[in-house]
Amino acid sequence: MADNRPRDLDANQHHTGDDRHKKQRILRRTVLLMVVFGVAAFIPLVGKLYDLQIVQHEELQEKAARQQTRDMAVSADRGTIYDSEGNILAISATVQNLVVSPKDIKENELDKSLIATGLSQLTGADAGTILKRLENTKSQYEVVARKLEEEDAEKVRTFIKDNKLASGVYLEPDSKRYYPYSSLASHVVGFVGAENQGLYGAEMIYNDLLSGVGGRVVTAKNGAGTEMLSKYENYIDAQDGRNLHLTLNATIQGFAEKALEEGIEKYDIQNGGFCIVMDPNTGGILAMASNTGYDLNNFSVIADPIKAEELETMKEDPNVSDEDYKTALGQAQLEQWRNRCVNDTYEPGSTFKSVVLASALEDGVVDLNSQFFCNGVTHVGGFDIHCSKRTGHGSQDLTLAVKNSCNPAFMDIGQRLGADRFYDYMEDFGLLNTTGIDLNGEGGSQIWSRKFFTSEEGISSLATASFGQTMKITPIQLITAASAVVNGGHLITPHVLDYTTDSDGNVVDTYEINEVRQVISQETSDTVRSILEQVVSMGTGKNCYQAGYRIGGKTGTSEKTGANENEDDYIVSFLGVAPANDPQVVMLLAYDTPKPATPGSSWTAGGTYISGGNIAAPMAGPLLRQILDYLGVEKQYSAEELSGADTAVPQVVGYNESQAGNALKAKGFTYRLVGDGDKVTGQIPAAGAVVPGKSEIILYMGEERPTEAVTVPDLSGMTPGAAQQALANLNLYLRGTGSAQYFTSATLAATQNIPAGTQVEPGTVVEVTFVEKINDFAENNNLNNSLN
Amino acid sequence: MPRRKRDLTARQQLARGPMDLPFLMLVLMLTAIGVIAMFSASYASAYYESKDHNATYYFVRQALFAVGGILVMWLVSRIDYQTFRWVSVFILLASIVLLILVKVPGIGVTRNGANRWIKLPGLPQFQPSEIAKVGVILYFAARLSKRDTVKKKPWNDKTWLGRALGLLDKIGFLELLPYLGILVVVGGLLLLEPHMSGTILIFAGAAAVLFAGGIHWGWFAAGGAVMGGGLWFIMNNTDYMLRRINLWQDPWSDPQDGGFQIIQSLYAVGSGGLLGKGFGKSMQKFLYLPEEQNDFVFAVWCEEMGLIGAIVVLALFALLIIRGYWIAIHARDKFGALLVVGVTTLLAVQVFLNIAVVTNLIPVTGISLPFFSYGGTALMIQLAEMGMVLGVSRQVQAPRLG
Repeated sequence: MADNRPRDLDANQHHTGDDRHKKQRILRRTVLLMVVFGVAAFIPLVGKLYDLQIVQHEELQEKAARQQTRDMAVSADRGTIYDSEGNILAISATVQNLVVSPKDIKENELDKSLIATGLSQLTGADAGTILKRLENTKSQYEVVARKLEEEDAEKVRTFIKDNKLASGVYLEPDSKRYYPYSSLASHVVGFVGAENQGLYGAEMIYNDLLSGVGGRVVTAKNGAGTEMLSKYENYIDAQDGRNLHLTLNATIQGFAEKALEEGIEKYDIQNGGFCIVMDPNTGGILAMASNTGYDLNNFSVIADPIKAEELETMKEDPNVSDEDYKTALGQAQLEQWRNRCVNDTYEPGSTFKSVVLASALEDGVVDLNSQFFCNGVTHVGGFDIHCSKRTGHGSQDLTLAVKNSCNPAFMDIGQRLGADRFYDYMEDFGLLNTTGIDLNGEGGSQIWSRKFFTSEEGISSLATASFGQTMKITPIQLITAASAVVNGGHLITPHVLDYTTDSDGNVVDTYEINEVRQVISQETSDTVRSILEQVVSMGTGKNCYQAGYRIGGKTGTSEKTGANENEDDYIVSFLGVAPANDPQVVMLLAYDTPKPATPGSSWTAGGTYISGGNIAAPMAGPLLRQILDYLGVEKQYSAEELSGADTAVPQVVGYNESQAGNALKAKGFTYRLVGDGDKVTGQIPAAGAVVPGKSEIILYMGEERPTEAVTVPDLSGMTPGAAQQALANLNLYLRGTGSAQYFTSATLAATQNIPAGTQVEPGTVVEVTFVEKINDFAENNNLNNSLN
Repeated sequence: MPRRKRDLTARQQLARGPMDLPFLMLVLMLTAIGVIAMFSASYASAYYESKDHNATYYFVRQALFAVGGILVMWLVSRIDYQTFRWVSVFILLASIVLLILVKVPGIGVTRNGANRWIKLPGLPQFQPSEIAKVGVILYFAARLSKRDTVKKKPWNDKTWLGRALGLLDKIGFLELLPYLGILVVVGGLLLLEPHMSGTILIFAGAAAVLFAGGIHWGWFAAGGAVMGGGLWFIMNNTDYMLRRINLWQDPWSDPQDGGFQIIQSLYAVGSGGLLGKGFGKSMQKFLYLPEEQNDFVFAVWCEEMGLIGAIVVLALFALLIIRGYWIAIHARDKFGALLVVGVTTLLAVQVFLNIAVVTNLIPVTGISLPFFSYGGTALMIQLAEMGMVLGVSRQVQAPRLG
């Protein structure tokens, strides 16, 4: 066995000291290696792992997640804007952007000139520009045309398909804002920019609500960019924008814009004008127009034809640099987009007297019996301030002073109120702050400081402020204050938003009416309204008078005193409220700078005296009538309005139309024509018959005048309007009598002097006695039943 | 008919002793974990890159090699390791031949501009450097084990040359020459491939054997100084190395190219956190992390199993390495001890360098992680080396001899 032992086993049989030393050296060194490689080496490894996995964990994980996921935006649909009747003012629709990828076009060797000419033909984009962009072969994304509508997009699609260009030319969806009413209420609705962000008006103020919240789709992708298993997907739904429902009424807006436009045309107005119609009880804006509107679908195009032409000449003019033209265009655009109802201030003039009147009445410094004397001029602080009537109004009571719009009387009122209290009221009526209306860029007023106003030097300011001059406020401030004057004293924040709905049409939020404070009492408000009504029925506002519509109001003719403004320029305005007994609308209509016939003249070329009463009031009357009719506000006739003083009908048979018309108008009659002859061949009632004034005379122009007797209808229980209509249908006339001051649907016919069923001649007058509806439940029921 | 134990020689009986159970268990555990980790890490690229979306492509191969490797390990452990004394010469010579063959077209395989692989008929592709590692360690251990028994030949101190040689012999330089010669030849061939990491590993393994073998520490200090100086010189004078250093310090300076791999690795490791995303739930393995089944397998492991999982694997490696040195200390003879020191150090250095690269502790060098990285022949050779250690461990309980 020993023979099989290996050599070295025998050789190392005996351990020498040197051997032991050597063996221990191996041992020591191996242990050292063990400590180094088995223990020490692992310490930095664990340390580094701890650093990466614990200390830097969040940071690295986030970075890793960023590359591992694909985050795609899902766009939210922008909400629709509706008027108060549900008419669409602004709506978004899907359109297509035309995109080319020069890089792919190059790589796939597509025909560049074919693409350029083809796309140019289809979209109207310049072929040269397209070609130039196709040269940018590093780019994969060049938008050639934006917001193509479906019709054009379809053509492009066919073009791409026919020429097999899909690898380098494609369409991507985008959305476009449409404004179906184009320029209607342009300053209120506003518009959006290229990225669908609201830039003006409600589009801007409510941009966040309208735009909604974009969603995201987060998907996992692998290193090659391929989407991975669905378990990694994470959807965050896009929240579509809210729909806005405005208080604005497209119909009323249309009336207002038309009245504004007609007035501008008719009185040769130089600087446009503005009109606000508001519900005084809620502060809701029913209409708001500023100068001429502009097409929201092409908001950059200058709508004013004169300005557009000026710019066009500038563009053509070789002496005008491109830059100057662009500056001019930009300025014109900014001006066009300005909503002067909210953005700009002006001197309200006499319309402001309504606020002063309310303040003075509320403070008790004047009452209906107060007396004022006007000799045509007042000396204040070294100035002579004249009344509009240079000869003076003489002695007047409060109502007459307002009806006359007498400046000295109002300076007196201002003085009685005192600068301090006057200033308090301006503050309370919100004239020192912005109103907080939900439209962009609301301007603030330019009013003296309290310190100056109440000081000795401020005495002339108090005087001029009393009739609304030398202070500047925004139209919206004035109408908001006027609203408070007539609505029982409640200062309410004006607003255009009524409520919002979600994409399914559910109401989400309703605008909460915000009453800032009560400025004056209900009583004072009632008094002011009755005075304002008299201004319209018999005072400076009489050109606004409309029978059956109880309009109250105040005219204004204010000098423009700004630095760059001509001293002879005026803003003529009318501030109205209707019906005066139960205000449903307040309205401010103003025209900026009617053109005088000759410089310095007080008359227009058309022969109209330049004043609010002569220009704004006559436009305001029919406008208010239209609005009230549209709103279904019931007509209220006074007995006089309904019947007028009995008048004998003149003889007009044989006259031509204009002769007959003049003769009838002179007596206060209206007329209607039957037939189309040149001469009047017959009339109802016959000449000499005595009928209520303001009745409508029927003129037969060549046609046979009916002579058969008609049967008097039963009028009992009918409203005045219905009774008049029923009789008019039979060519009969109504004379209303009764105790009520005004005749409304609460006033019903009780008795008639000719019993129902009687045969009478056409043109006969039937006298009807009206009584107030009795506020007794049972009676009421009966009445309702009889009506039904 | 198997021979009975009593029929065996004493030497044969010694080689039949029990294997070191802790070491064996650690090897088996690491092999198992390694194959599983590699499966998860390679899942995505196997799925996306193989022809028929075969997600288990790498796994099946690696698992087969692991089973084969364990068999080889067992067989190797049954060989009396004394046999390796003389076999080592042939292994070394063979590996040198193979390293030359690497450069022969048709046999050497070019991959990423380097010829590290060889394809011989009838054999799977493998890296001759793996054989060279074993060859160098075995030969060095065998040669060093006889160091103390070699009688010193007196030099003729009458001639100038004799005196010089005598001096060189006295300071131990002459005995180093054969070792240095082998390292220059093998290292030179490896650098020609080029295969920097292989060179580093062989030098590290050889140095450990020489160190444990009793070579004067001064030589290591001198060698370290020369290498360090050389490295410093290269680092400061070549743009390539400078760029690597910069990328190491701030991988984000070139996130798309040079820093890409390490950034992806850091993302993987960092997003693992304390507990990890759970087995199989790595995101980084989905084509972000290059070489995720190979050098960066551990990054995916860290992402999926967190710091806890990483530390468990590190602990297993540490225990294996410590047990390896323990076997070396208890080895029956110097050859066994040095053999085990070489194999264990090689493993330890490889583990350290791989994980240090994955965590950006050191600049990127392509070193695979033993038991974890994909590569059938590498795993088999690794397990064969473990078999040698186990073979040494069989004779631990035998009477201690020189």
